[in-house]
Amino acid sequence: MKIDLGPVTRIEGHLNVHTTVENGIVTDAQCVSEMFRGFEVILQGRDPLDAQQITQRICGVCPYAHAIASSYAQENAYKLQVPPNGRIMHNLIQGANHLYDYLLQFYQLSALDFVDVTAILQYTGKDQDLIKVKQWVTAELDRNKEFPAAPFLPRLSGQYIKDKDINIGALKHYIEAMEIQKKANQAAAIFGGKFPHSTGIFPGGCTQNARIDHIAAYQSLIREVKHFIHDKYIPDIVAVATAFPEYWKIGASKGGFLSYGLLPLSSALNSKRLLAPGVMFDGQVSPVDLNQITQDTKFSKYSSSSNLHLKDSATIPAPHKNGAYSWTKAPRYGGRMVEVGPAARIMIDYHQGNNPVVTQLVNHFAGLAKITPANLNSVLGRHLSRAINAAVIADFLLEETERLDHGGPTMADIVIPNSCEGFGMTEASRGGLLHYIRVENHKIAKYECVVPTTWNGSPRDDNGQPGAMESALIGTKVQTPEEQIESVRIVHSFDPCIACAVH
Amino acid sequence: MLNRRDFLKLAATLSATFGITGLPAPVAAALKKIDPAAVPKLIYLQGLSCTGCSVSLLQADSPSPLTLITDYSQLAFHADLSAISGRKAQQLIDKYISGQAGEYFLAVEGAIPEKMPEACRIGDKTFAQYLEAAAKTMSGAVAIGACACDGGIPAAEGNLTGAIGLKEFYHKRNIEKLVVNIRGCSVHPDWVWHTIIHLVKVGVPELVNDSPKMFFERKVHELCPRYHDFQQEIFAKRLSDKGCLFKLGCLGPDTNADCPTRWWNGGRTWCIDSNAPCIGCASPNFARKKNIPLYRLNEVREKTV
Repeated sequence: MKIDLGPVTRIEGHLNVHTTVENGIVTDAQCVSEMFRGFEVILQGRDPLDAQQITQRICGVCPYAHAIASSYAQENAYKLQVPPNGRIMHNLIQGANHLYDYLLQFYQLSALDFVDVTAILQYTGKDQDLIKVKQWVTAELDRNKEFPAAPFLPRLSGQYIKDKDINIGALKHYIEAMEIQKKANQAAAIFGGKFPHSTGIFPGGCTQNARIDHIAAYQSLIREVKHFIHDKYIPDIVAVATAFPEYWKIGASKGGFLSYGLLPLSSALNSKRLLAPGVMFDGQVSPVDLNQITQDTKFSKYSSSSNLHLKDSATIPAPHKNGAYSWTKAPRYGGRMVEVGPAARIMIDYHQGNNPVVTQLVNHFAGLAKITPANLNSVLGRHLSRAINAAVIADFLLEETERLDHGGPTMADIVIPNSCEGFGMTEASRGGLLHYIRVENHKIAKYECVVPTTWNGSPRDDNGQPGAMESALIGTKVQTPEEQIESVRIVHSFDPCIACAVH
Repeated sequence: MLNRRDFLKLAATLSATFGITGLPAPVAAALKKIDPAAVPKLIYLQGLSCTGCSVSLLQADSPSPLTLITDYSQLAFHADLSAISGRKAQQLIDKYISGQAGEYFLAVEGAIPEKMPEACRIGDKTFAQYLEAAAKTMSGAVAIGACACDGGIPAAEGNLTGAIGLKEFYHKRNIEKLVVNIRGCSVHPDWVWHTIIHLVKVGVPELVNDSPKMFFERKVHELCPRYHDFQQEIFAKRLSDKGCLFKLGCLGPDTNADCPTRWWNGGRTWCIDSNAPCIGCASPNFARKKNIPLYRLNEVREKTV
């Protein structure tokens, strides 16, 4: 039986998944990105300093990651000496953006896969927010509307959490998370100018001044977010994991893992990072070698050549290409498929023993859930990894603010050579992000982005190997093949962003 | 005799033409008492977009985003928030677009790939097909953000999809429908939500060039707190300097928006307060031409050397 899961909601953008289900098992899955804009073509011939602005518009969910990757690539190309404040501000902006994104991803994008929203009708307590929502849902149901209580209903059929108090607690946190994510973004915007789409991030630093009042406001906001992470977000993930322990085994991708590392600890680009970079196959971590990255297009809607290295990349759209089913290209590392994202980041750091807090948290939760660190490659593992990322980043940001030199310089002087090139790598919340810029005659001659969901949401490569998300879906048992809440939970655990993937 | 619904419709049309203050008292009073069942349903569809405007709408301060989608509007469908997915989501959208689920406003984020319709699909149809069908059934549309209004970055010079905004898309098809343009890349959440509150409570706000006058009447430069620096010729020479940012490329003089008085992200900040030049993201020409860079750092340097 062939079933399309699209339009897939509670993700960024235009995703369909073609599935084949036989005897209640997904035997085939094709991830279909359905939106193309052509950023790399649009960037050609533009002023190089347009890049950190234009590439943010690849994604309004994680624009700061693009601004940072582009800034790193340009710093690398222009050989800028970034003052310590400049790099610290980059980190403060990007780290806060991660925190908002993790909360949004769990509460607004994923929680309704597990939490029973109708439990609100049984609420008898005194919380004003919950009373208001209960009254609203009741009125909606009484009004005989065709689609009452949208967008929270209707929903996919399946098992939801049965415990009333857990459901109602999570719904309360759904509402609170909507307020808390704003605080993380407000913190980021103090140094970034605004959110979404920062105007203050540049190659070489940030335009904002390092003022003590800014620092104090930032700290206060991040402390609030940190408390929410520890008091609500992490316990809610544990509650979901307790109700659905089988999801430690469901949704594992079948390849390797890649992380570029997140948040440099000094202003040098090649400095040690808070979370360490690496590529991992069969439990063995090696340093990342960019020469190993190629992009295939056999099943992608492009007539441009396949299997090209980053510097040779090309984008010629061919919407009606025979056999092609997605606008996403298929990047591979040494010809092999990898998963990127929060779990990859945590596993790669853990295996290198880089960050002691990561090691401690992984061991703690693995003990609690009776799993091994390898089980982070799963639906629950990705959610838990986000929470570990969030806890580690929040602490780091508060320490980082103490290193900001009040009144010190925040920007390098930007001088763009006539011709130059550079790579910039960072981690967006959903995974490894790479930008490449080549400048000729003061203009952008080539720009290439390989984005987290380009990896995770990729179609087959030239050798027929599925992408990470496809491989995680294949083999999944589904109760209702027409709806497949199980498959949707897997897709959501990857936090796909199609605007990013295709760009 | 008009029924209540037709009466309200007429009143809304009148208010769009004359503004609420020009209405007879009973009509204005009726508009202010729209009951919850008449709160506009929103079908929110995304085209060539980055979801930045949706994310910005979640940054609304007062009222909160949740209140805005339960009390001030009925968000019937939004790809980022809707619990339902797949075939049932498709049916829900189709039901509204085909006119079988009552009146609704279309909210559009993202551009339309006019020359390559396959560059944007939602479920079983191209984005353009939804927009053509919706034109026959919707009460009106709100174009949210630079892409939906004018094509935005997807329509920048050299693009391959022929991206355009909603108004142009309808104009090319001789479709006459109310389209309110709310520019910005991304939009400020107030610009959209306050327009919707206005629609619900008192009808269509006064428009200038299809955009609500209350947000877009004046230029960033005119409202800028650094206008005094401009008059005194105190110019920033490099990024992170104080002073008027005009010589670094600030596009405030070319951009209609109230950022200087509204500020962003809970009123904490905005671009120029962080010493970052306005890049004109609320201008219809935002980032359109390759030979008009967003910054002019080198010009200042050459002149100061």
